[in-house]
Amino acid sequence: MRARALAVTAIMACAAASADAAPLAIELSPSSANPNSPRMGDRLSFQSIIRNDGKTPVEGVIAWISLVQIDKGKEQPVDLEDWSAHKAVTIPTLAPGEAIRTDWPMRLIQAGMYRVVISAVSRDGPGLTASPFADFAVRQKPVVESARVVPIAFGLPGLLALLLFWRWRRS
Amino acid sequence: MSPVVVLARKEAGELVLSPRGIAWLLAMAAALSVFGLLLVGNTELSLLDNAQVVYDMAGIVTALGALLAVVVGNDSIAGERERGSLMALLLTPISRAGLVTGKMGGLVIAWVLMFLIAVPYLWAVGSTGQNLVAAILGVALFGTPVVLSFGLFAMGLAARLGSSRSSLIATLIALLVSGSPVVLGPSLRQSAIGRMFDAINPFSGAVNAFDSVIIDSQPIAAQAGRLGLTIVWLALATWFAYSGVRRLAR
Repeated sequence: MRARALAVTAIMACAAASADAAPLAIELSPSSANPNSPRMGDRLSFQSIIRNDGKTPVEGVIAWISLVQIDKGKEQPVDLEDWSAHKAVTIPTLAPGEAIRTDWPMRLIQAGMYRVVISAVSRDGPGLTASPFADFAVRQKPVVESARVVPIAFGLPGLLALLLFWRWRRS
Repeated sequence: MSPVVVLARKEAGELVLSPRGIAWLLAMAAALSVFGLLLVGNTELSLLDNAQVVYDMAGIVTALGALLAVVVGNDSIAGERERGSLMALLLTPISRAGLVTGKMGGLVIAWVLMFLIAVPYLWAVGSTGQNLVAAILGVALFGTPVVLSFGLFAMGLAARLGSSRSSLIATLIALLVSGSPVVLGPSLRQSAIGRMFDAINPFSGAVNAFDSVIIDSQPIAAQAGRLGLTIVWLALATWFAYSGVRRLAR
C-alpha cells in the first residue's frame, strides 16, 4: 500500500512539476527495434531527447529514469538495478536550442504493465521537468521451463526404477 | 589390493549397486523431481527468482547428501554391530584408521553418484543459465565437506554409543539443527545468536556460500572463509570418527 502511494505521489509530482518547469523539455519514445509484444527476458530501449528551449544555457542537468508497475493491486516502483537499466545521465551544460539524445535500455524481468518516465532537474532550475509517460506490457515467460524439468523429473526416477527392478530380478 | 580399497569397493557396491542402494538414489531423485515439478507453472516468479530456485535446489541436494551420510555413517559401525559382523570386521587385517577410510570411501563414491544425479536437476530448474556453473561447482566444493563431515560424525558417535537407534537419533537431531539454514532464510538469522550460529555452523557456511555465488554472483574465490569453515569441521569430524573407532579395539 505504501509503495502504491509512493508511486502515485511520484507520478503526480512529475506531472505537476512539468507544468511550471524551466526551459528544459523532454521527449520520450520507445526504440523502433523494440519487440511488438515483449516478454520476460527481452530487452527494451527508450530514447529521450532533452532540449533547452530557453535563451540561456542550463547548467548541471541531471536526468533519470523511473519505472513503475501499474497492474491493479501490484502498483509499485521497480528496482532499476534488477532491470539492468541506466539510472541517470548528467549533462554539464545544455546550450540554448541544444538537445541531447539518450538511450535507456532495460532487461524485462517480470511480467506486468509498466510505465516509464524520464525526469530532469538542473542546478539552478525552478523545478522538475518530466517527459510524457511511455507505457508497455511484459508478457509472462515461465521461469522454470516445463520442457526442461518434466523430462528430467520423470526420466531419471524412471531409469532408476528400471535399474532397481532389474537388480531386484537378478538378486 | 589394499584392504582399505577392498572395503571401500564393497561399501560402494552395497550403497550404489545393491537394490537398497538404488532405492536410495531413486528416493533422492524422486524428492528432487517433486521440487522441480512444484516450480513448473508458477507464474509469480520473476527472472531474478530463477537464481533463487537454483540456490534452493543446491541446498536440498546438500541436505539429502548429508542425510544419506548420517544413515550410512551410523550403519557402518552400529549396523555392523547389530548384525553381529563388527567383531569379524575388527579381526580382519585392516587397521582402525583403514576401517574408517574404507567405510568413508564407499560414502564418497555414493555422494559422487548423488551429485551426478543432481546436476541434471540443477540444469533443469536453472533455465536462465544465471550462475548455473557456479552452482554446480558450489555444491561440489562446499557440499562435499559438509556431507562427509556428517558421515564421519555419525560414524564416530555410533562407535561411542552402544545403540544404533540412539546414535542415529542424536545425529539426525544434529543434522536438523545444523541444516536449519536451508529452511530459514538469511533474514531470520540476523540476531546475534543467529550470526554466531552462522559463524560456526558448517551447513551455514555452505548455504551462505551458495547464496553469494548463485544469487549475488560473487566469485567462488571470495568464499575462502566459508570453505575454510567446512574444512575445519571435516577435520574435526575425521578426528572424531578415527578416535571413536580406535576405542572399538580396546
